Amino acid sequence: MGSSSEDLRDRIIELLPRLRRFARSLARNAQDADDLVQITAERALARADQFRPEHSVAGWLFGILRNAWIDEGRSRRRRETLLEPEALAERVGDPAAGSDPELLCLQDALARLPEDQRLAVALVLIEGLSYKEAAAIMSVPVGTLTSRLARGREALQSMLSETPGGPP
Amino acid sequence: MTFSEEVLMAYADDELDAPTRAAVDAAMVSDPGIAHRIARHRALRNRFNSAFDKILDEPVPARVLKVVHSEQGAPRKSNVTPLRQRQVRHWRWPQWTAVAASLMVGVIAGRLTLMRGENAGPVMTRGDRLLASGVLAAALSDQLASAQSAADPVRIGVSFRAKSGEYCRTFALRGAGGLAGLACRADDGWQLSVLARAESASGDGGTYRQAASSMPAAVVAAVGARMAGEPLDQHAEAAARGRHWQP
Repeated sequence: MGSSSEDLRDRIIELLPRLRRFARSLARNAQDADDLVQITAERALARADQFRPEHSVAGWLFGILRNAWIDEGRSRRRRETLLEPEALAERVGDPAAGSDPELLCLQDALARLPEDQRLAVALVLIEGLSYKEAAAIMSVPVGTLTSRLARGREALQSMLSETPGGPP
Repeated sequence: MTFSEEVLMAYADDELDAPTRAAVDAAMVSDPGIAHRIARHRALRNRFNSAFDKILDEPVPARVLKVVHSEQGAPRKSNVTPLRQRQVRHWRWPQWTAVAASLMVGVIAGRLTLMRGENAGPVMTRGDRLLASGVLAAALSDQLASAQSAADPVRIGVSFRAKSGEYCRTFALRGAGGLAGLACRADDGWQLSVLARAESASGDGGTYRQAASSMPAAVVAAVGARMAGEPLDQHAEAAARGRHWQP
């Protein structure tokens, strides 16, 4: 693969901070989020030959991370039903949790959204992608993305208006 | 003129086409309520933006960087090599992964042994231990990763020496709901330490199953925790089989 693979590697390194931000909008725990980023980088490098240069590297990586999160979510839900006390204990012991109350508050609100609305909000409001780019990552038409985004936003507005500390 | 919330949201996100945008601009002049609703969408967007932007300034953890720097060259298609390339020994999965994995062993194995009769399935219990039986035990003892076919009921992944000296092998069962796990050689057979459902191929293209990532995370983590040195290459694997997996 040679230089194109090296270019991809460099692009992945550049995009790691954004992948971490995206992952944190899906996983509240910073360790879990970095696990997702790690899996994403591994899968992207292992499948470098599947990347089409006419597409955006960021969109491709976000798509891989989204799939990893959905896979992980299935086993996470199983674990949470089995292991709630341990999961809670782990959260308490996580130095990243609670370091920024505003971030934690928004992460908690996001976590209460259904998966598809949460992804739409994360890609558009947090990552700043266009509707078209976000729809491509979620493999849905733009109209579907728009309605998920609108529902997610309304839910967030009503959740966050109950909490003090937001902007006026 | 009235606008749906979706249109005003798209205005706040700068996603409207020029004519619609102009219509909203014009309506705003006579209806301050429209500007207020748009401002509400913008405020939410800004609030998420500024809170999450701080993450961009955090240093990327070394374990994540290591993945990008450690993989060299084109990946090969075998199920064994990518595990080595990925340097699984450096993975730091949260502790609960191991706890969850051992619980899953109980749940899944219970179902398997019940379903197939105590000793007829690929897994049997002996005391509080789980041992491979039937086709799984046979494959673990005899099958080489370098010489297996798609028709084999069990696929062997990587073989390695554990830190405590014994040989261990990862495996995947075909047609048992995609179970995969790690077995280590004990005096009385192959003892299973992890058994988990393999990740599904759905939603991520057909090539997913070929990649090393079809190994469940719990298995990858267990390999990382136990392996001493590197996985066996095909010669070392054949030699170990020749010694009946005795250290």
